[in-house]
Amino acid sequence: MPSLSALVFLGLAALTLGSAGFVAFSRNIIHSALALLGTFLGIAGLYVTLSADFLAATQVLVYVGGTLVLILFAVMLTSRIAEMKVSNPRGRPVVAFVLVTAVLLVLGRVATRTPWPAEARPAMPSTAKLGHAFLGEYLLPFELGSIVLLGAMIGAVVLARRAVRRAGEKE
Amino acid sequence: MLMAYASVAAFFLVAIGFLLGSLLFGRLLRPNNMYAGKVETYECGEAPVGPAWFNFNPRFYIIALVYIIFDVEIAFIYPVAAVFKRWVDQGSGLFALIEIFLFVAILMLGFVYVWAKGDLDWIRAIKGDPRGAQDVSSRSRAPAGQAAVADGGAES
Amino acid sequence: METRTFDNVASLAYFAPELGLIAAVLLLVVWDLASPARLKIAGLVVISLAALAWSGGMGAYFLAKDAGPHELFHGLLAFDRFSNLFRVIFAFVTGAIVLFSVPPRGPGVAPELRRDQGEFFTLILVLSLGMNLMAASRHLLLIYLSLELVSVMSFVLAGFKINDARSSEGALKYVIFGGVASGIMLYGMSWIFGITASMHLGECAARIAALTAQQGKVPEVVFVGTACMLAGFGYKISAAPFHMWTPDVYEGAPTPVTAFLSVGPKAAGFAVLVRFFSDALGAGSASPAVATPWPVLAGCLAMATMTIGNLSALGQENVKRMLAYSSIAHAGYMLLGFSVFSDAGVAAIAFYIVTYCFMNLGAFMVVMAVAEQSGGDETLSAFRGLGRRAPLVAAAMVVFLVSLTGLPPTAGFVGKFYLFSALLTAGGAWRWVLAIVGVVNSVISLFYYARVLRAMYLEKGERTEPVAVRPLLGATTCALAVPTLLLGVYWGPVYDFVASSLSMLR
Repeated sequence: MPSLSALVFLGLAALTLGSAGFVAFSRNIIHSALALLGTFLGIAGLYVTLSADFLAATQVLVYVGGTLVLILFAVMLTSRIAEMKVSNPRGRPVVAFVLVTAVLLVLGRVATRTPWPAEARPAMPSTAKLGHAFLGEYLLPFELGSIVLLGAMIGAVVLARRAVRRAGEKE
Repeated sequence: MLMAYASVAAFFLVAIGFLLGSLLFGRLLRPNNMYAGKVETYECGEAPVGPAWFNFNPRFYIIALVYIIFDVEIAFIYPVAAVFKRWVDQGSGLFALIEIFLFVAILMLGFVYVWAKGDLDWIRAIKGDPRGAQDVSSRSRAPAGQAAVADGGAES
Repeated sequence: METRTFDNVASLAYFAPELGLIAAVLLLVVWDLASPARLKIAGLVVISLAALAWSGGMGAYFLAKDAGPHELFHGLLAFDRFSNLFRVIFAFVTGAIVLFSVPPRGPGVAPELRRDQGEFFTLILVLSLGMNLMAASRHLLLIYLSLELVSVMSFVLAGFKINDARSSEGALKYVIFGGVASGIMLYGMSWIFGITASMHLGECAARIAALTAQQGKVPEVVFVGTACMLAGFGYKISAAPFHMWTPDVYEGAPTPVTAFLSVGPKAAGFAVLVRFFSDALGAGSASPAVATPWPVLAGCLAMATMTIGNLSALGQENVKRMLAYSSIAHAGYMLLGFSVFSDAGVAAIAFYIVTYCFMNLGAFMVVMAVAEQSGGDETLSAFRGLGRRAPLVAAAMVVFLVSLTGLPPTAGFVGKFYLFSALLTAGGAWRWVLAIVGVVNSVISLFYYARVLRAMYLEKGERTEPVAVRPLLGATTCALAVPTLLLGVYWGPVYDFVASSLSMLR
């Protein structure tokens, strides 16, 4: 009988991978976008099992609440997307299958044979620890984060603005 | 430790179970009498026009983009806010305040940028905003008319 | 001088170049919003150049004062001669690109070219900031963050052409490849972190060295982690097999952006690659008793990159696309120097980067100057008869192309000479194989560069009237051609300066 945490992990992994498979193989892109929800939620659950509770909450807030909506918008505002029924062309599935299997075998073998340094699981409310890190040791990445966000916002808006202009000219 | 999250898992299971249960229950109870008018999309009693999956206006996209940026910002600020009081108690509150202020100020500049450039205006791209008016109108008036004609032709 | 680790406040003095860049980015956004239309572009250029002069000048000042080495921000960033050298290089490259991107003025110029300039310069400066951080990062988190900073800005800049399907296509491919590459890199980092329990390169190095000594070979897990991280680094330097995005992005992006991507982020990618290998893996200082897989791995990458780049460049009609493939090939040459894992190899790479900046920026600048006068035509036909129509620009192009081929008396020759000599000094059959492949590749590259030369001087175009190159472009082109030639005949001081500036924090 596997332990409870192993069962939880297996359930979450199944949710994540199953939804990801649906995203990849669904022939309807809107269904693909919706199936991402399962992947994001599964990953949030995995974060909880890894004692990263704040990260899990952020995952739900940012990915489920924001990114998924953005992806749906992107899908919905691409013209004639509903008529596109093509998924990825399945060229050379045999080659891909062999390659992926080989990589998986190598990774699995190395991962199971490596003496990983084991550490006690950190205590869970991790928010305060993150806060101290942001203000202290990891201040630079924290502040750089705002620069990255600023640059990304300006860049994304510049590109999106053109689509708005085009749409406006059409109207 | 995981047990602390058992309530979350229970919530999920109950929510999903309730949804599936009511669907199943409905299917078992209701008479099965389908006809074309009944399975049509419900639009407040009006006959639906066109498919439900149509092109959104790209303006939605900009709003969603800006929303995500500030969503991430909140995710960053939250842990800092959670420990801010302890930093004040330690006597380094000003330091923490400056750090968080810098973070927010840089992003606020981005907000000012989007606002001042008129990307949040809903009607702007049709009329051409006043500050970019020379820029946009001198070039786009004539081609816009042609484009509209061309589009109309393509659609009809 | 002993190495000191500074906390956040004490680090700021050594972080001044980047602080200047950040301030300039914020100022550019404000200026873009608030400036009068007439002065807008002039102001943007002045602010950008001032910030870059500050950043490069401070880097040069630190080098001259021989400051450091220190660890900044609790060990996240390295402050050493290596990072300062790259600060100077990046400031120079970005400055050239800023001049390069000044839009043409006057009647008959499409107004699109003058649109969104504020955003353009802002993004260029953010990119420059990211490159500085890449060269200085000593922490996996910061390596990832700065790499993403550079990548995200590059994606936007690659798609900057308005209503151009090729530009959008290139940008989209760039985003998808970039996402995959950085995902794989993160995965590799998680392996390295898993085995070393630290993200700080110095601590990683200690743990990996201990494991290596214990097992008598490089642990497999480190190999897997590093191989995955190479996906991210290889993507930035466009090494095969992560080069697929390069031709489409380079062809589709606006020419200044192409020139920037082919030089700046590539040099930054090499900087972070060299630092990671010598710092975290101790690849240069490993005891010879332990056989490391790195020389063979890097050598294979180098051969594949050179060969794919050069062979694909052979049939290209579009000069910009050809230069894209040639830039892949040049990444391969630099990987040759990398595969030696010696100080001579690193010095050769750094010197090659310096020469490559001049010749590659120059070549792209000529393409832009020519395309601007022939209605956006970037194919070989636009170059026909250029020798007569614009003698000075054509002569500069000759210098750049000869230098890119690696023939004397140009900087490219000296750069390649040091690369090959580092390779052969290290000795061994494998190095000889690499060197021979490298030489054969240089010969192949002669064919496609010579096609441009032939078009410029031996073929007659449809048009014979002189080409009116913008003075700014012409002057910058000549300013780049002079050092390309000069470094080919008198390179001693520059090489010594670069070679002495490579001491790295370990």
